[in-house]
Formats: sequence, structure tokens, C-alpha cells
Amino acid sequence: MFGRRTLLATAAALALAIPMFGGLGGAKAQQPPVRIAVIGPMSGTGAFDGQLGLEGAQAMAAVINAKGGVAGGRKIELLTYDDKGSPEEGVSAAKRAMEQDNVDLIIGGWFSAVALSLKEATRDKIVTVMTSSQHPKVTEEGHKYLFRLNATSAMMSDFYSKAICERIKPKSVAFMNVNDDWGRLDLENYTKLLTNCGIEIKGHEFYNRTDTDFNTALTKLKALNPDAIYVAAINTSQGATIYRQIRQIGYRGKVIASAGNMNPKLVELSGNSLENVYSATPFTEDNGAPTMKPWLEEYRKSFKNEPSFIASLGAQAVEVLAFGVNAAGDPRAYDKIAAAMKAQPVPTVLGEVRFSDQGQATQTIHLVQVQKKQIVSVRD
Amino acid sequence: MDVTVFAQQIANGLVNGMAYVLIATGLTLVFGVLRIVNFAHGEFYMLGAYITYFVGTLLGIDYLAAAAIAAVVVAALGIAANKLIFWPLRRDHEFTILLSSLGLALLISNGGELLFGADPKYVDSPFADEVLDIGAITLTQQRVLVFAAAVVALIGVYLFLRYSRFGKMMRATAQNPDGAALTGINIKLVHGYTFALACGLAALAGALVGPTVMIFPTIGNWAVLKGFIVVIMGGLGSVTGALFAGLLLGVIESLGGGYISLGFMEAIGYAMIIVVLLWRPNGLFSTARGLR
Repeated sequence: MFGRRTLLATAAALALAIPMFGGLGGAKAQQPPVRIAVIGPMSGTGAFDGQLGLEGAQAMAAVINAKGGVAGGRKIELLTYDDKGSPEEGVSAAKRAMEQDNVDLIIGGWFSAVALSLKEATRDKIVTVMTSSQHPKVTEEGHKYLFRLNATSAMMSDFYSKAICERIKPKSVAFMNVNDDWGRLDLENYTKLLTNCGIEIKGHEFYNRTDTDFNTALTKLKALNPDAIYVAAINTSQGATIYRQIRQIGYRGKVIASAGNMNPKLVELSGNSLENVYSATPFTEDNGAPTMKPWLEEYRKSFKNEPSFIASLGAQAVEVLAFGVNAAGDPRAYDKIAAAMKAQPVPTVLGEVRFSDQGQATQTIHLVQVQKKQIVSVRD
Repeated sequence: MDVTVFAQQIANGLVNGMAYVLIATGLTLVFGVLRIVNFAHGEFYMLGAYITYFVGTLLGIDYLAAAAIAAVVVAALGIAANKLIFWPLRRDHEFTILLSSLGLALLISNGGELLFGADPKYVDSPFADEVLDIGAITLTQQRVLVFAAAVVALIGVYLFLRYSRFGKMMRATAQNPDGAALTGINIKLVHGYTFALACGLAALAGALVGPTVMIFPTIGNWAVLKGFIVVIMGGLGSVTGALFAGLLLGVIESLGGGYISLGFMEAIGYAMIIVVLLWRPNGLFSTARGLR
């Protein structure tokens, strides 16, 4: 005698049980993804740099996922957060990522000012990879789970100042630097290094991260009559405006672009004003790294921008985290992940990268020059 | 003090100031005639620059024609914004209107980011890199064009307000909207073309300034901020006030940045507002309500 109640109860029990068995059966194929927060400048004047880095990371995640993912078949999932280029927004984004969205790992730190406060929000709590920021304190005062990919200003300037002294050889230099932690430190480094090789320092100007017009500052620099103007601009749109306006105010001398800040978009936006300008960068497409080719293909297939240094840093961030998670077998085993990343050179899109005990990467740096609107490596 | 550098900084300041005037004139017109504080004004500046860019690159039309097209298209968008948002809300509390304009600003700038992409773009102009040496002063043709075109546009606006039938209707509406309506002036029409004029001027500013810098979807924030500084300094609703305050702001910023500190340049505008508000709370050129 089956009452309606019994039938209903059986049906309910079956309904509950089927997905349970189904769940068990599909566990191998449907593992939860490894969730990585990408905290970068997605709006405001730094938005383009944020976008490039994110695209680089997405292309690399696609390459890794296509090859079967990490830690035995788990896919990488990227979650995007906007730090608007501001330290306060960066900290609140990190808190949202960790507390609300419960992410496994963090990529962030496009700008030094943001990286410096972001590292405090993630201190000893979560593995954090900083991308393009160059301020030495990011890693000098970092934490046990903190890594930074870009060469520090000091590493870049050691290499690049040699090239300026020996190859570009200006008699005197005036500096046009962004007024933030990185820009001030960059000025300090190069003032010291270029003075040592006998180049006269005529003066400097600091511009603000929100400025859109640079005529006032450049007029002052032109009046100093320097043999070369050195421009330290991270932000692509400000950089392009500065390079154009240097020529528009009638300055005819040499122009030197700061290390790490040359990209195809900058060249495109700057017109002829970047012709023959030098820079230094860890990114060249012909470096022979095994993942460079698939990454370039995936990037060009998915995005309309040209692959750039900042995009390659986004890719490298995903790669080093994937390496760490693979070695540890679990995206939450932070001690194991950090130890694995520091133990041996990690193969990446920019060649093998070594991390110091403080989590600072050592990258190979190349001298590049803009020739006929192309960025080409200068080899001795 | 080097006279050449001083003269150059004054010239830089006058050009920047003239761009501020062009932005602020539309803002002050909308306030003077319609009593609307339009936070979305900067977005029409941004649209002006972007439409010039797209008309130039996609349709291959030359820069000056592209700029004119942008001004006309954005003027039409201004009419649409009025029809959809500002006209229906005209009887509501001014905070409602103010917040709606803020909403519109966010909608346009975020929509712009989605539609145009976050990457900076460059509005190509044949005058951008051509350097003119005027005595000891160096300016690009583009910067001379910014100044000259703004002067022509402002004279046009002045003549329009002073002598045309529409201009007189606008002034009447500014003085007393109900009185103007009673004499048979079509207030709805006045609303429409005040917005068209204001947004067209903002777009023209964007099209002219575009080739001197890089454009990206959030440049409207910068434009509306400068516009408000100028409008508050010159007196809300005063076109003459906007002219003098804009040029003054440009020159003082340039000299302040040149001789005191660049870091101080942004602060100068705000400092000037405080001084003006303490000394003349209604702005430099304000006497009574209405368009001046």
C-alpha cells in the first residue's frame, strides 16, 4: 500500500541522492578551479597598463588550461579587481578578494605606490606576486609569501646607466620624472650613476600622476638647454604625451626613455617623436623561451593589442604561480608554494627567473631602440 | 628671470586657459539659463574628442571636418540627454537633477570604456607637430588653432546671445522662466538648444584639445573639474566671468607650475576658488541672477 506521502518521500530521497552519486562520479573531471585575483588599474589614467597586464595573464592562463591546468587537472580562473592606480583602492580590492571571494592567490602591484600598501594587506596571509612595480622596498620590506617580478629600479639602472654612459653618451641630462615613489627613486639612482661617468645633470622636474599637459614642465627643462632629456613615465598615455610635447616645444636634443617602459602602443601613439630613442627591457619576442611562442600566438589570437613587456609580466605572474602550485600540489599550501618558487629557477616566458629569499626576481635585461617605429634589440 | 621662458609660460597658460573657457562656457550657460548643475558636461568633452578620432580614422575624413561633425553629433546627443533626463526632471528638487547628471556622467564614461576600450588614443591632426616660432615663443599650429577657434566660437556665442531671437529667448528664460513662458516663449525649445549649444561647445573643446594630448574614456573628469573651477570663480551663469576666470586660471597655473612648483599646479585652482569665494561669494563677475 503506497500512500501519496510515501511516494513523495521516495521521490525526494531519490532527488537528493542522484546528484550526490553524480557528484562523486564526476569528481575527477570537475575539480574546483584555482582562483587567482588580478588586482590592477582597470580604470583611470593607468587603465591601459592594467588591461595589457590582464590580457597577458589571461593568455597565459588559457595556454596552461589548454595543457590540462595545474595540480592534477585543476583549471586556472582569474578574477579581476580594479585598484584605480590608488593605494587605498588596492587595499580594499585585496580585502574583498581574500575575505569575500576567498581567492587562492593574488597578482597585483602594477604601480609601486599600490604595491607598497597592497603588501601590507596581504602580509603573511596569501601568496602575492607583484608585477611591474620597481620600488626596492616592495621586496626589501616584503613578507614570506611575497614575490616581485620586475627588476628593481636599482637592477635596471645598473644595466641601463652603463648603456647611457657608453652608447648614448650625452654631455648633459635633464630629468622629467613622475612624482611618486618610483619616479623619485629613479631620479636619485640615475643622478648618482650618470654623474659617476662624467655626465652633467642640469636639473629635473616632477610631474603628477594625474597631469594631462606637460608644456609648463618641459618649457622649464628646455630652458636649461640639456644635451638629453630623460623621461621616466610608467603610464603609456602620459608617456606618449610627454614624448610628443618634447618635440612640440621645439626641443631638438636627445631623448632617453626610462628602463622598462617602452611598448608598441607607446611607439604608435608617440608618432615620430620616439624615433632612435633607447630604452631597456626584459621583454623581447626572440628570447627563445619555450612558452614565448604559444603565449604570443594565444595573445595575438585573443587580443588586438601588440604583446608588450607589461603583458609578459602578467603572463609570467600566472606562470610562476602555476609552477608553485604544481610543485606544492595545493593552491593553499602557501609555505610549500613559496619554498618551491625560491628553490630553483622557474622557466617562464621571459626565460628562467630566479627568486631571492626576499622574493625578488632576477630577469635578463636587454637594450632596445626604436627604429622605424619598431622596438628592436640592440646587440653588441 | 628669463624673459623668453616667462613669455613662453604665459603663452602656454593662455592656450590652456582658452580651452578651459570653451569647456566652462557650456557649463555656465546650462546653469545660467536652466539652473542645472550638469556633472555630465565633461563627458560631452570626451565624446567630442572620441567622435573626432573615430570619424577621422574610420571614415578617413580630414581633421577639421571631423571636429565639426563631432560638435554637431554631440550637440544632438545634448538634445537627447535633455529630452530623456533633464526636461522630465525640471520640476524636481535640484538635488535630484544634480544626482541624475552625476549618474549620466558615470553612464557615459563607463560606457565609453566599454565601447572605445581603455587604451589611450591619439587624435591625429595635421597641425599637431608643426611648430610655429612667434618671436621667442614656440607654439604648435594646433595650440594656436585651439586659441583662435575658441575666440571665434566665443564671439559667435556672444553675438548669438545678444542679437539673435533664440539668444534673446534664452536670456529671457534665464531672467525669469515663468515670465518668459507667459510671453509665449517655448521653454521646452529653449531647454533643447541650450543643451545643444553647451554640449556642442564642450565637444568642440574636446576636438581641439584632443591632438595636444592623449585621449582615454575618463578625460571627462578632468574637463568637468576645470570647468567647475572656472565657473565658480567667474560666477555661476556668467559667460564673461567664465572667459576671464578661464584665462586667469590657465596663466596662473602655468606661472605657478613654472616658478613655484609643478606639484602645486593642481592646487592653484582650488586655492583660487577659496580666495574668490571669501572675497566675492558670488564669483568675480556675478551681480544678480541671469545671463551676463
